[in-house]
Amino acid sequence: MAILEEPIKEIVEVKNYIDGEWVRSKGEMQNVVNPINGKVIGRVPVSTKEEIDAAVEAAKAAFPDWRRTPPVARARILFRLKELLEANFEEVSRVQTQEHGKTIDESRGETRRGIENVEVACGIPTLMQGYNSEDIASGIDEYLVPTPLGVFGIIGPFNFPFMIPLWSAPYAVATGNTIVIKPSSEVPLSQIRIAELADEAGFPPGVWNVVNGGRTVVNGMLDHPDIEGITFVGSTPTAKDVIYPRCGATGKRVIAQGGASNFMVIMPDCNLTALMTSFFGNAGQRCLAGQNVIVVGDDERFYKEFVKGVVDTAKKIIIGNGLDEEVQMGPVRDTEKKKKILSYISTGVKEGANIILDGRSDFKIKGDYPDTCFLGATIMENVAPEMKIVTEEIFGPTMGIIRAKTLDEAIKICNDNPFHNADAVFTSNGRTAREFKYSVNSGNVGINVGIVAPMAFFPFSGMPDSFFGILHTQGKEAIRFFTESKVVIERWP
Amino acid sequence: MQLNTSASVISFAKQLEADSAAFYERMAERHSKEKEVFLTFSKENSNYATMIQRAYYGVITDAIEGCFAFGVETDEYAFKREPAKESGLTDALNQAIDMEQKLISFYTDAAEQSKALMADVPRTFLIVAKKRKGREDKLRRLLKET
Repeated sequence: MAILEEPIKEIVEVKNYIDGEWVRSKGEMQNVVNPINGKVIGRVPVSTKEEIDAAVEAAKAAFPDWRRTPPVARARILFRLKELLEANFEEVSRVQTQEHGKTIDESRGETRRGIENVEVACGIPTLMQGYNSEDIASGIDEYLVPTPLGVFGIIGPFNFPFMIPLWSAPYAVATGNTIVIKPSSEVPLSQIRIAELADEAGFPPGVWNVVNGGRTVVNGMLDHPDIEGITFVGSTPTAKDVIYPRCGATGKRVIAQGGASNFMVIMPDCNLTALMTSFFGNAGQRCLAGQNVIVVGDDERFYKEFVKGVVDTAKKIIIGNGLDEEVQMGPVRDTEKKKKILSYISTGVKEGANIILDGRSDFKIKGDYPDTCFLGATIMENVAPEMKIVTEEIFGPTMGIIRAKTLDEAIKICNDNPFHNADAVFTSNGRTAREFKYSVNSGNVGINVGIVAPMAFFPFSGMPDSFFGILHTQGKEAIRFFTESKVVIERWP
Repeated sequence: MQLNTSASVISFAKQLEADSAAFYERMAERHSKEKEVFLTFSKENSNYATMIQRAYYGVITDAIEGCFAFGVETDEYAFKREPAKESGLTDALNQAIDMEQKLISFYTDAAEQSKALMADVPRTFLIVAKKRKGREDKLRRLLKET
């Protein structure tokens, strides 16, 4: 089967999108590298404070007119954006694979997820309705009007370059706010393509802005008095120690989504066949990855069958260029991330884990590509809950197997972990499933579902240390986040 | 060759549609008596490919492990892609029936394998399988009349 054509054929000189114009940055330029083959596919600016200020100023200036644009008219522009994203579905998916390395199935899945958020936001005329009470006192009515606030900043991560900013952006603009997006500087090309399509869809200048860069841009957003709120997805240290407190200090609303170290609890009564494919997607670089597996009970035959099953499945994973449609796992994003994953595996071994599949060396790459960013799947037995490979986020294609005697012990292991993003149980017993979902302190809970990714009309939940804030991205919670409740009490004597 | 990913199976389905469309175009060139029937079949194939891609694009999500959705052995669905040059209409119709049976088998198997993952995809596979069954019946009627 042929390798799909790359959409990016020449080095893209990335510009900022400010006030409806593509503006060359005065900042230094950095390379955007395709992790599959090490080729430079873009040059992205490290934008300056003046440039983020200019974007915020443009967004602020655009707000009054955009706010007065009827929700139904705003929705029509979002419908056009959806049409354009559908029309360019294949191209934007391949861009993700080229800049990130994930497989084309994963990229197309990401594209679909992103578009679903635009679809949900298209319902803004209904979603943004308030409520009212007639005659709260004689001749007096009271009602609530959700109103937009102004300018919002959206800071994206590297692992889902297309989708994650769309957890926020469509809702922010649908509710009448204006936005400044800062994509990950490692993978900025997807957001540039979306901004081009947003421009084509007809958003007025200044409503949708993109500023590329690093800390200067993030700090510029956090400290800017005209930014009302920030949504952030990235690492826990940044979410917890930078974004969340700085937003508090400057009076901004915040959704700060951090890392994860998720558990999949395997009961001996589960359907093993359904379970085997729930690992290693996106090369483990997602906050829903099943980093830890807890096998419950002392049934040795079941345990051995389970271990053999996951190892056999993992060994067969075809690793290579994500644009090759047969490939099942791409590289990790860059050498630094690979080094970090390797370091965690070594730490796991030092702490007593036993490697039963060694993804550091025991893998083959399909095609002629350097192994610079590639890793195979690593599976470790004899893992304990207090090991660093459990208490910290690895963000790579690894699985640590822990054993617990009972469901209660497994739930305690989940709840004692600092991260509470997503946990899942695999069982055929309804009572076990209920007990798990009731007792586990996790934002996203799976029952016989390994990748607990909420649909666009549900919030992408999470609890500390995976989440900092109150409301979440996506769906009704996003609408609530991007609006203030204005209460009107009215009397006409 | 075994195909495991959704992407590769969808591409394989599209390739089968393209190959069978080309087959019917050749049939139309060589057997003018049934030219219209064969050209209609060829055009339908293009619609099937579009339906399949649309269904796949519509439901593939990052929550579904699309890279592990299938186990399709392509060799099981191989068919002769060119009508035999010297053969008469009877042989050509038999060849077409054989091809349709292979395609029905492919779509039925692929629907079974993907039913737990992506509702629209197996449904579309089964729709195409059903339409091809209708086509097979038509080819058999033509064979009787020949």
